[in-house]
Amino acid sequence: MSDLNLLWTIQLAPLAVFLAVFALPKTARRAAPALGVLGAGLAAVSCLVLAARHGASHGLRVEFQADWLRVSGAGLWPGVSLTDYRVVVGFLLDPVNLLMLTLVTVISFFVQVFSVYYMAEDPSRPRYFAFLSFFSFTMTGLVLSNNLLQTFLFWELVGLASYLLIGFWVEKPAAATAARKAFVVNRLADLGFYLGIVLLFIFTGTLRFADLQPGTLGATLSPGILTFLGLLVLCGVMGKSAQFPFHVWLPDAMEGPTPVSALIHSATMVAAGVFLLVRSYGLFAASAATLDWTLAIGALTALVGAALATSQRDIKKILAYSTVSQLGFMVMAIGAGAPASGMFHLTTHAFFKSMLFLTAGAFIHRFHTNDIWEIGRSGGASDRLALGALAFGLLSLAGLPPLAGFFSKDLILEALRERGALPFAAGLLVSFLTVYYSTRLFLVIALTQKAPQAHGHAAHEHHETPVLAACRALPLVSLGGLSLVAGAAGTPVLGHRLLHWLGAHTPHTDWTLVGITLGLIAGGAGLGWAFFRDPAAAEGRLLRPAGAVRRALDRKFYIDDLYVFWVKRVGLGIAAFLNLFDKKVPNRLMVDRTSYAVLDLGKIASRLQSGLLQDYLSVAVAATVLILFFLMRSRGL
Amino acid sequence: MMHQSLSSYLWISTALFAIGLYGLLARRNLVAVLISLELILNSAGLNFVAFNRFALVDKSSGQVFMIFIVALAAAEVCIGLSLILLLYRRTDSIDTERAKELNG
Repeated sequence: MSDLNLLWTIQLAPLAVFLAVFALPKTARRAAPALGVLGAGLAAVSCLVLAARHGASHGLRVEFQADWLRVSGAGLWPGVSLTDYRVVVGFLLDPVNLLMLTLVTVISFFVQVFSVYYMAEDPSRPRYFAFLSFFSFTMTGLVLSNNLLQTFLFWELVGLASYLLIGFWVEKPAAATAARKAFVVNRLADLGFYLGIVLLFIFTGTLRFADLQPGTLGATLSPGILTFLGLLVLCGVMGKSAQFPFHVWLPDAMEGPTPVSALIHSATMVAAGVFLLVRSYGLFAASAATLDWTLAIGALTALVGAALATSQRDIKKILAYSTVSQLGFMVMAIGAGAPASGMFHLTTHAFFKSMLFLTAGAFIHRFHTNDIWEIGRSGGASDRLALGALAFGLLSLAGLPPLAGFFSKDLILEALRERGALPFAAGLLVSFLTVYYSTRLFLVIALTQKAPQAHGHAAHEHHETPVLAACRALPLVSLGGLSLVAGAAGTPVLGHRLLHWLGAHTPHTDWTLVGITLGLIAGGAGLGWAFFRDPAAAEGRLLRPAGAVRRALDRKFYIDDLYVFWVKRVGLGIAAFLNLFDKKVPNRLMVDRTSYAVLDLGKIASRLQSGLLQDYLSVAVAATVLILFFLMRSRGL
Repeated sequence: MMHQSLSSYLWISTALFAIGLYGLLARRNLVAVLISLELILNSAGLNFVAFNRFALVDKSSGQVFMIFIVALAAAEVCIGLSLILLLYRRTDSIDTERAKELNG
């Protein structure tokens, strides 16, 4: 098949599944899981074919596009001398998005497989698999877009899919609230993104990624405008990729089914922001101030996320804050001017983080609790497969060589060190905290004593058929393997092949940095070991009155409170004032007064209507006489 | 015999009209109002006949008009009286001041 046909397959197979599930008669809906897996499998295979075809070639850049709208001969804006505006639709295929596409379709496939296990007992499974396929369609559409407007359309659809899946269990109020929160926060951020796109279009007349080069942009636009545009687009990125201060929606989004968290809220959709940063890097690189802001926001996010991950009890919340922190880390890499490193970390992170989430799902589905201490007490340590996957994933996250996280994180730290002491220190601190909370998570689940009454709990409730057991094991093992492969592709041993392919210059291996990283891992793990060697005692310490630091951590650094304050006090205050103003001035003074005035006039006028026949007659006669009088006068009589 | 001229007829007709108008506006009894209306009609009719007698060569058209007016007046009185009768049944009076339900 030709490239274009493969791209169409990747795009449309999941969409076909989505439509088919809803078109099926009720009785045949049981086929939905099979359909979902089939659609995702088809997309993944097509994508792997593409990757195999182009994986070795350098300078890959295929673009299929068609004109959508074209305005020429007239300016859109006073003061802009441009007269030629083009909106195009099309597919773009280059190393960056082929990598992203592979990641999205492959992880989608494994998540679909895992969902067969995870959702086996849910009555509304068909809807779930339909939405999941819909997400795959929108996400691949986003990745394949060759211009910002098309990206934005899919960007919003991805947000919709996320909303639908977070609130999948609509009967759970927390899920409905979380879905709404995610939706609203994202729309707020997307407002900036949209404004940025519109302004960029007005100023440059094109939205194609290929045209976003720092050179041409810098030649036509002033630095101030470039910074402004960059920050507006960054605003959208901050929403989707859960950057400070828009990160508040992501931990709440964990109310959705766990495979959804694995796919959407750790590996693919939230990475779309980082992907967009890499994609439109030209726009950001055109202004040093934008890059500085990107770096600062990334650093703040990474630190806040990592700090909050250290105090959560809910396994999914820990992973969610960890995701926030790692996304911040990637954004930092881009802010430091190393988009290829950011993309590399995105890749490795996507594999091991989706695996971690699926592991969390495996624990939650078996032990019916999210609390890590509870999981440990119910016998989490006896689930060898899940525990192994957890250990592997956390070691990758912590960046222990030679696992995937080590190489990608090392590259970012290197870029940060070149950028300056402050970003480098932030990166090191984040790495340290990452190791610490990873150690904590693992030790609590692995070392908590199994409570006696929990014996045989799992075995009794779940009679897993071989198919379901395979659906549980296969994705965990495969994703672990894939994260190793992805990590290896960027290693110095293999000559940084992945980075070369993405178009980055060859980084040199710096042994002092490796030493620092290993020291950090040892330090973080040691600290974790010191605190959580005895998980029961650690849990006991949690019951003691909290100090200022822990109170701040428990309140999530008061960021949610700040939002509530803004919305409830300030927002509603302004709304109440406007409401009062509306009632008093336009409503009372203008509308009501007018109607009363007309009514009063009518009352006065109605007094003339005496109802007496002769009064009317007198008026008629008097009028006739007057008319006659004037007629005669005008005739000169 | 009195001296016959157009102006004397016109004076009589004006007097009839004035009396009729006064009755129309001043009387509160509906039958009196109707009679006043007849006076006005007849003043107009008198004008027709007088102008016909003194100003026209063909001596018939004014008189034809008068006959039409008499017929019209008869019809009008018919309707007027029946309306008054209805009003009387409704309000036990034919006073115009009692019939002012349509006041503002």
